[in-house]
Amino acid sequence: MIEFLANWLAFTPVFAVPLLLATLGLIVNERAGVINLGAEGMMLCGALAGVACYIEFGESTAVGMTAAAFAGLLIAFLFAFVVVVLRADQVVTGITIVFFGVGLTGLIGLRWNDTAIAGFQKLDFGFLSEIPFFGKVVFAQDAMVYLTIPIAFGVWYFLFRTRAGLNLRAVGENPQAADAAGIAVDAYRFCAVAAGGVLCGMAGGYLALAAAKIWVNEMTHGRGWIAIALVIFARWMPGRAVFGAILFGGIEALIPRIFAAGWPVPQYFLQMTPFLATLAVLVWVGLAGKRRSAAPGALGLPYVREDRW
Amino acid sequence: MPDRAAAAPAGTFRARRFGRLNLEVRQSIGRVKHAAFIAFGLGVGLAISVAILLASGVEAANIFDEFVVLTFFDRLGLSSVLIECSPLILVGLSAAVAFRVNFWNIGIEGQFFWGAIGATVIAIFDVGPPATRIGLMLVFAIVGGFLWIAPPAIFKIRLGVNEVISTLLLNYVAYQFVLNQIYGAWQDPRDRFPHSEAFDAAERLPLLGWEKVHLGLVISLVAVVFVWWLMQRSRFGVYMRFVGANPHMALAAGIPVAMTIFLAVGLSGALSGAAGFVMGAAQEHRLTGTMAAGYGFSGIMIAFLARNNPMAVLIVAFMIGGLYAAGQSVKVFYSLPQALVSLIQAIVVMCVAASDFLVRYRVHWLRGDGR
Repeated sequence: MIEFLANWLAFTPVFAVPLLLATLGLIVNERAGVINLGAEGMMLCGALAGVACYIEFGESTAVGMTAAAFAGLLIAFLFAFVVVVLRADQVVTGITIVFFGVGLTGLIGLRWNDTAIAGFQKLDFGFLSEIPFFGKVVFAQDAMVYLTIPIAFGVWYFLFRTRAGLNLRAVGENPQAADAAGIAVDAYRFCAVAAGGVLCGMAGGYLALAAAKIWVNEMTHGRGWIAIALVIFARWMPGRAVFGAILFGGIEALIPRIFAAGWPVPQYFLQMTPFLATLAVLVWVGLAGKRRSAAPGALGLPYVREDRW
Repeated sequence: MPDRAAAAPAGTFRARRFGRLNLEVRQSIGRVKHAAFIAFGLGVGLAISVAILLASGVEAANIFDEFVVLTFFDRLGLSSVLIECSPLILVGLSAAVAFRVNFWNIGIEGQFFWGAIGATVIAIFDVGPPATRIGLMLVFAIVGGFLWIAPPAIFKIRLGVNEVISTLLLNYVAYQFVLNQIYGAWQDPRDRFPHSEAFDAAERLPLLGWEKVHLGLVISLVAVVFVWWLMQRSRFGVYMRFVGANPHMALAAGIPVAMTIFLAVGLSGALSGAAGFVMGAAQEHRLTGTMAAGYGFSGIMIAFLARNNPMAVLIVAFMIGGLYAAGQSVKVFYSLPQALVSLIQAIVVMCVAASDFLVRYRVHWLRGDGR
């Protein structure tokens, strides 16, 4: 039982990190008032770019992750141009970005399909990693897991402890007031979407390079949508997002463990659990949070200054 | 109008160094101009799509042949467009009905699957006499689609749960359930492949006698007329419009807002279920794991391009049916993946959504002093 628990907890970060990176990216997006439903598409492009560049350029995970971040950024530029500059409907455009990502990766990903890769390796901290139970869970993860902790902290610090973060939140809460105060609304939104795209791309890249260690079509399998739900669960707070990502990473990590342990649980029903759990969380938030919504005031609304010319 | 910053007395306004974009919200727009802007967006989208096809190795000379001549002006091609467009019309209507009341039904594939599951239950357990079986399959498919959308509808109305996420998550649940059935209890005993056993003759939609066009086309045309009447001619249609435009005002005016949303969304689920039935009973003739692939997004895009107008849904679905049919042949001849169809649809929608910019705003460029 201890063995099972240690294995489960040791595998949790690998599933939690992509969810956390994507959720953090979406929090930055939504705090600026842009709802990004295209996370799944950005993650897919990140995953393909990560695997492709990993294979083509010397099997380096750093190169892979950089490429993934860059791919996410490119898709985010497209999304930002359409919803921030052209002020198109954010829901329609976001959904379209998902299928754009599915189509694009399906078309150009053929060459790298089903090629197994080594990907991220677990770090070895010598005697620390030898500690029973804790060593395996805490001191034997890959580099990106440890790197994600400062990223999460950085997102929180930026949003809640810097002037730029305050401005960004003002833009998401009340763009009219922010504009009157001299904040460049469009520039903040554009940059927020770009930053969100980088984090979503990295989430996809990590998913492919560390969790799956392979590229297959539509491999993100709904994780982008789970991340969008996690933003609501986290009430747009990076700290709570860490908790939510670990919770859902834990659920995902449990599934292969249960298969490995050979328990007689129907496989396909087990695969439903992350989605049903996400739905349950949304309902729970709905039941609990009717009094006060934590959503940014201008979420999903395009802003037009309407000044005289 | 002259540049005010330059005309103002010194010290009152700081001169602008750079030029910038100024947007004026249009109060109204002429029909011709409106159509021209959308046509422009559509044109850009199609041009990018053609460029992608060229880049993936389809010869320039063949694109027009493949996508227009052999698709719409060829007996076999046109018949396959008509076959492809029957479920597309139904999912397009499904999305249009839900979008009209501002409910983003992204779970069309899940409801599609439950429609197919409902039909399959009747078919493989041979419920009822053969004469009424196909009708019973349709009824069960409609009920299946309705039941699958009911929880997100209730969650949205009662708890304010975001329906985009809840309906989408249920797609994955429905898909896993289908896998559970076709790899388990319902696996075809004949070939042991992961799909249900083939439907009997009485469980298939009859052909209309022109190539392989089947009764599904008639079902979807009837659905178009019904939804058109409901949305454009009935009292319920007025309610839907009112609720979609401004739910608070609708409530104040005494319209049963929650019930209107629930019924419209329920109809949306039922239409998607019917699409699953058409797919199962007329095209696949069984329950498969891939039968719903792509229909969710296609439904959304058809409703979006048709501006939720049922008659326009018919036309757009016909065009997308052409894309599907041409996509099939391109897939075979150039070994291009099905993803191409998804990509082209996404690009066209994105360009049309972007062209809304010109419809909604009048754009001015304000020159700065620094030129």
